[in-house]
Amino acid sequence: MLRRRTAIIVVAALFTAALLLSLFTHSTGVVRNDPARNIWIPPELTMPVELQVAYNDAQIFFHYRWPARQPHVFTDLLRYSQGKWQRQLSTPIGSDPDGIYEDRLAMMVDDGSVPEFQRYGGYITVGANMRDFTGSGPDAAHRRKYLPATRRDPNEWYSIVDQATLESQRRAGYFLDLWHWRAHLSNPLGRSDDQHVAWYRLYDSGEPLFFSNWDVDKGQPRWMFDLESSGVRALRWEDVAGGRRDESQPYYLLAATAVPFDATHEWGEGDVIPGQVLREPSGSRDEIRVHGEGRWADGYWDVTLVRALDTGHPLEDKVLRDQGVYSIALSVHRDARASRWHYVSLPLQLGLGRQAELMATRFSGPTPDWSRVDTREVTLFYPGQVSWKHLSSARHAGSKYIAKGVPVKYRHKETQLAQYGVEMEFDREIRRQWALSLIAGVLLVASFVFSVSLLFRHRED
Amino acid sequence: MGPYHAIMVHFPVALWTVASGIIFFRAFSDGSLARAFDRVLVPLLLIGVATGVVSYTLGLLVWSPDTLQATPLGRNHMIAASWSLCTWAAILFLRWRVGEMVWEGRVNRLIMVGFGALGASQLAATGTLGGHLHGAPAYLSELMRVFGWDVYHTFYSPTWVLLVLAVAIVAMPVLAIVTTRGRAARSQRQEASK
Repeated sequence: MLRRRTAIIVVAALFTAALLLSLFTHSTGVVRNDPARNIWIPPELTMPVELQVAYNDAQIFFHYRWPARQPHVFTDLLRYSQGKWQRQLSTPIGSDPDGIYEDRLAMMVDDGSVPEFQRYGGYITVGANMRDFTGSGPDAAHRRKYLPATRRDPNEWYSIVDQATLESQRRAGYFLDLWHWRAHLSNPLGRSDDQHVAWYRLYDSGEPLFFSNWDVDKGQPRWMFDLESSGVRALRWEDVAGGRRDESQPYYLLAATAVPFDATHEWGEGDVIPGQVLREPSGSRDEIRVHGEGRWADGYWDVTLVRALDTGHPLEDKVLRDQGVYSIALSVHRDARASRWHYVSLPLQLGLGRQAELMATRFSGPTPDWSRVDTREVTLFYPGQVSWKHLSSARHAGSKYIAKGVPVKYRHKETQLAQYGVEMEFDREIRRQWALSLIAGVLLVASFVFSVSLLFRHRED
Repeated sequence: MGPYHAIMVHFPVALWTVASGIIFFRAFSDGSLARAFDRVLVPLLLIGVATGVVSYTLGLLVWSPDTLQATPLGRNHMIAASWSLCTWAAILFLRWRVGEMVWEGRVNRLIMVGFGALGASQLAATGTLGGHLHGAPAYLSELMRVFGWDVYHTFYSPTWVLLVLAVAIVAMPVLAIVTTRGRAARSQRQEASK
C-alpha cells in the first residue's frame, strides 16, 4: 500500500505529466493531406517575393524575384502510353507527383475603382464553392474568380447581373487587371499573359498566346516538333518527369516551327509532346512583355515585366499615371502546383511618384537601373479555402469590421492568415478535437483536485 | 456584450492575481501576516469564481457560439477561460475543503504553489487572447510562442493524448481512494487488535 505522501507525489506527477504532454503535443494529429477532399497542405505556408517597380514617361517595369527549389517549365503534356496518346485532364491536387505543372506569377492591379480590393485583396474574388474547394462538386470547374457586384447575390455564382449592368460596370472601371506570367505558356514568347477579373476571370481581347494541340476527334496531337530544326519529334517522359528539363532539347512547341503531327510514325512508349502550341499574340493580349529574359538560376526566378502605362485598352487594362496610387496583389505557383494551391499576398499600395507602401521609382531612358530602385520584400501566404462568403458572414468575427471597411492588414498578418487558412480546411475535425480537449482539461483539473483533497485530508497513522 | 465582458473581467483578474500572490506568500511563510492573508483566501477566491462565472457567461454572449468557435483565437480564448475558471474553482474547493492542512508539509505547499502558478498562467493566457480578439495584441503572446504555443494555432490534443488524459483522469482518484481506504482499514484493524 502506498504511503499518503508517496500517493500525493504520484498523483501530482501524473497531473504534471498530463499537462506537459498536452502542451508538447498540442495542435497535432489532425492536419494531414486528404486528396479525396481536395486537401493538400504545402510544407511551407509562406514565401517571400522581392519586388521592384520603376517607370518612365511611357512604360512601367515590375521586377520580381522569388525562391523556387527547381524550375517547373512543363504543363499539359500529351503522352504516348499503352499504344495511344493520352492527355492528363484533371488538375493536380497540390504538387503534381510527376512535377508537370508550370511555375506562374500573377499580379492583380486596380486603380481604386474596386474599393474592396484595396482593403481585402484577392479574397473578394473568391466566391462560395469555388473549384477545388472541399465539397465543391464535379460541376465546379468553371467557378473561378469574380467580383462581388457582378452578382445579384455575391455568394451565388449563378446570379450574374444582366449584360447591360456588366457593361456599365466595366466602363466605370469595375474590374481588376490581371498580369499572368507563365513559365511554359508565356515566358518562351517573352510575354506575360494579360487577363482581367470582372464577372469571371477573362482573357483580354486579341489572339491568345497558345492554343490546344489536342485533336479531340482523333485522340492525338495536332502538331509535333520538327525533327530537322529541333532534333526530335517528341520529348521523352523520363527526360521531363519530375519537372526536369534537358537544356539541349526544346521544352515548348512553337506554331512557327511545329510541323503537322505524323500519325504514321512509329511512336514509342513514353514519347511526349506539349499539349499547347505557342504563338505570337495580338491586341490587348500582347501588352505585357518580359523585359530581358525570365530565367531561373541558383534557386530563384528573376522576371521583369514591362507594360505601357496606358495600353489603349481601358476596358481591359488599368491605365497607370504619374502621381497615381494603385493597389496590387501578387500570387505565385511553384513546386508544380496549380489552381488554389498557390501563395498570395495581401493588397499593397503602389505609388507612382506619390507616397505609398511601395513607391515606384521614376527614371528617364529606356530601361531602369535596378540598383537605384527600392526593393520591397512581400510575404505571400497559402490562403487555404477562405471565401468572401465566409469572411462577410456572421460566422467570421471580423465581418463587422469588413462592413465598416477596416482593411485586413489592420487585424491580420500573413502568417496568421496562412494558419487560419489551414485550420479552415479542417474546421470540423479541429473543433471536435478542441471541444474534447477542453472537456478533458476540465476533468483533469477536477480529478486532480478531488484526489489531492482526499489525500491532504487523510492523516498518516 | 463586449464592453460589459471587458469591464467584468477586471474582477476575477484582480482577485485571482491577488490570490496567487497570497498562495505563493503563504507557501513560503508561516508568519502572522501570511496567516492573516490566508484567512481571506477563501472569500477572495469565492468572489473571484463568482465574478469569473459572470465574466465567462458575458464572454459567451459577445459572439454567437458558432462565430467564437470558428477561429483559432476565439477557440483558444474560450479554452483558456474555461481552464482558468476551472483551476481557480478547484483551488477554492481545495482550500475550503481541506482547510489549513493544505499548508502542511513541503509537498502540500509545493502542490499549492504549482496550482497557483497554473491558475496565474492560464489567467495571463486568457487575458492575452482576449486582447488579441479585441485587436490589442500584447507581446505576451510572443512569450507564449517561446513556451511552445502559437496563439494562432488552435490548442487541441491529438486523440492518443486524449486517451492518455482519460487514463490519468481515472487513475488519480482511484489511487487516492485506494490509498486512503487502505490506510483507514489498517487503522481500524490496529484499533481492533488493541
